[in-house]
Amino acid sequence: MLSRVANNLFWMGRYIERAEHVARFMNVNYFSSLDAPNQLSQSRQFVLQSMLFMVGNSINDASVDLDEEQVLYDIALNPEESYSIINSIKNARENANSSRDLISTELYESLNKFYHFVMKYPKEAFVKTNLYDFTINVSEMTAVLRGKIRGTLLHDKVYAVIMMGVNIERAIQINRIINTKFNDAQKAQGGYGDTMANSFEWSTLLKCAESYDMMRRLYKKAPTSTTTLEFLLLNSRCPRSFMNCINQVYNHVKELENKAEHEKHSTAFLVGKVRAEFEFKRIEEITEDVQGCLNGILDKMFKISESMEKEFFGY
Amino acid sequence: MGKVSNKSIFSNYQKNEGLFDEVFDENGNVKSVYQKILDIYGARSIKDYVKLNNKAKSSFFNQGITFQVYGDKESQEKIFPFDLFPRIIDPDEWDLIEKGAIQRNLALNEFLWDVYHDKKIIKDNVVPLELLSSSPNYLHQMMGLDPPSRIYNHISGTDIIKHSDGNYYVLEDNIRCPSGVSYVICNRTALKRALFGVFNHYKTHTVTDYAENLLSLLESVKPHGVDVPVCVVITPGMFNSAYYEHSYLAKAMGIELVEGRDLFVENDFVYMKTISGPVRVDVVYRRIDDLFIDPMEFNPDSALGVPGLFAAYKKGNVTLANAPGTGVADDKAIYTYVPDIIKYYLDEEPILKNVHTYHCSRPDDLKYVLDNIHNLVIKPVDEAGGYGISIGNRLTKNEIDEVKNTIKAAPRKYVAQPIMSLSVHPTYIDDTKSFEQRHVDLRTFTVLGKDQQFVLKGGLTRVALKKGNLIVNSSQGGGSKDTWVLKQQ
Repeated sequence: MLSRVANNLFWMGRYIERAEHVARFMNVNYFSSLDAPNQLSQSRQFVLQSMLFMVGNSINDASVDLDEEQVLYDIALNPEESYSIINSIKNARENANSSRDLISTELYESLNKFYHFVMKYPKEAFVKTNLYDFTINVSEMTAVLRGKIRGTLLHDKVYAVIMMGVNIERAIQINRIINTKFNDAQKAQGGYGDTMANSFEWSTLLKCAESYDMMRRLYKKAPTSTTTLEFLLLNSRCPRSFMNCINQVYNHVKELENKAEHEKHSTAFLVGKVRAEFEFKRIEEITEDVQGCLNGILDKMFKISESMEKEFFGY
Repeated sequence: MGKVSNKSIFSNYQKNEGLFDEVFDENGNVKSVYQKILDIYGARSIKDYVKLNNKAKSSFFNQGITFQVYGDKESQEKIFPFDLFPRIIDPDEWDLIEKGAIQRNLALNEFLWDVYHDKKIIKDNVVPLELLSSSPNYLHQMMGLDPPSRIYNHISGTDIIKHSDGNYYVLEDNIRCPSGVSYVICNRTALKRALFGVFNHYKTHTVTDYAENLLSLLESVKPHGVDVPVCVVITPGMFNSAYYEHSYLAKAMGIELVEGRDLFVENDFVYMKTISGPVRVDVVYRRIDDLFIDPMEFNPDSALGVPGLFAAYKKGNVTLANAPGTGVADDKAIYTYVPDIIKYYLDEEPILKNVHTYHCSRPDDLKYVLDNIHNLVIKPVDEAGGYGISIGNRLTKNEIDEVKNTIKAAPRKYVAQPIMSLSVHPTYIDDTKSFEQRHVDLRTFTVLGKDQQFVLKGGLTRVALKKGNLIVNSSQGGGSKDTWVLKQQ
């Protein structure tokens, strides 16, 4: 596989995944806030701030009065904003275009349909009435794409590169979501006991990661800060957890390596090291300094991505 | 499904007496090969047809089978208009086309060998020297060079029309980077999806075997000493109007689609940059024009090509298909000499006719052209894509004067041909929601390899969608039809 094409496929995977997380975050946050138990969680300004924080465009000044329609438009359909969903889909398709000979006709067709759906989506309707329709469609179409990636591509290096992109991006986005909701939970605390641990925001967080139902099955209790973080960071059976992402990345990077043993400076070695660290981590070590741990994970993912660029895409 | 009689779906079909209709004979009767399909289409209402047509259109759009039109400001993504009513060619007619295309392209290959070696054809005064010396497509760098298996025009597109006399004529040879073959395959796929039932009544040759024949050709012209060659397709990139085709061909052949920046040359060998390091490349199917393939040898500003590629080619370490310099033989000025070229090298009569061409470079012809512009088509010698063509009987008096001045300023640049009446084919027209006569041509695809020749049984029937228009190129608003070559009963 050509280095340039590998790079494009890697980013195609990343952009598809990114679009999905942003869409779901918008959807879950907006709709769960409508009947949230406390005033702050219910406030529209709080939700909009939270969305902007998640896409990396946080407004640090609480006195700024955000315009709802503008914020929604910016995050979903504004082609001028690099973080918008429309831009992610454009970039995903552009990356797919340049490697059309390698991906399946079926995958390309689904992505292309998705692209035209987003490009044609009426802006007015979206900001006024169709937030649910748009975001749910984005979620569904990305699910279709994931299915086509898994089901219509040869599971070789092409697949491995795409899946590395998907999983690295997922780890990063889940991290961003946790970070955002952790931030929100500190502000909108629960009504009893350890108020921060019981915040309503933890349920929202799980829903943002499509992990609420899974979590209920496993813990059978209302989520708290500790159980939620443990589930989303360390539980390898949760498909959205950081642990699962890093396991996937490790499996796929081995496919790309040509040697039986990892070299000290290889990407596989780096991924393996991070994986080993989290495999034997306890949640208590994390809750001591949640923010520090989240920052550390983000930093590690960026390092892995950089190392991939050097090792496989450098030309 | 509304039942509409055969008559009503074509009831508004107006036949212009002066034109050769592919489906109806001069008495208005359906030609036998079309009888069955007309019965089947006749059983559907126009409404059904509109629905099918829209489905086919969105299928093309969703699959991203589109091309870019370079317009005023930004390029636009468009689907290639496609007509669901196929063109059918019976086996005997096809036999003539196929033999004619092979003959013609073999002769052109001999011509290319000759003009880059001993130039016997010029010494024997069959083709005038100044046609070569004045041609911008003649590459002196190719002098004396022996391409692997002695082949220059591996892939050729021969544009053929049917005149009102019922005979096929070659209108143009395309032996640089002919495009359109991917649409042949897409058209067939779309038609099969929409109207699979009709295929039960016709034994039609497949068109999906193009890619395997092309790959087998590319492998057959591998450089000397290579066992299993690595072949690639090189594209100018995703903004090229034919990018879909490049990616389709690479995918269908299962080989890499590369851009210039993916390749590099070291010690006169060509490599591509992969995730596992450099991999040697032996055969390059290039879809980049001659002057852009190597900035060290040709256009130094080209960012599309690969520095050193031509040197590697000269050493025989890599094969380029088509060979550089083929443009000298598909030039519209050389076109006139093709019947002579066929006789000279093959000692055969041309199977396919040529349209008579007037060379503005010859004083007698120039005078005739200037006096008879209203009856002629004026074409620039070296423009592709239907750009710069003037059709005499469409011009106003002022425009005629303008054209005259342009020709007089650079006679070598223009040729003229009698206005050929391209045959017409019933074509569904969206605006009027009915079938109308539209002019069509046929681009055939010929592949020449080491001891192998292949003509794709089908080809691209291009339709001029504007009423009365004779220019069928997609960049000029042309569409296309699936083309069926029937098997011998």
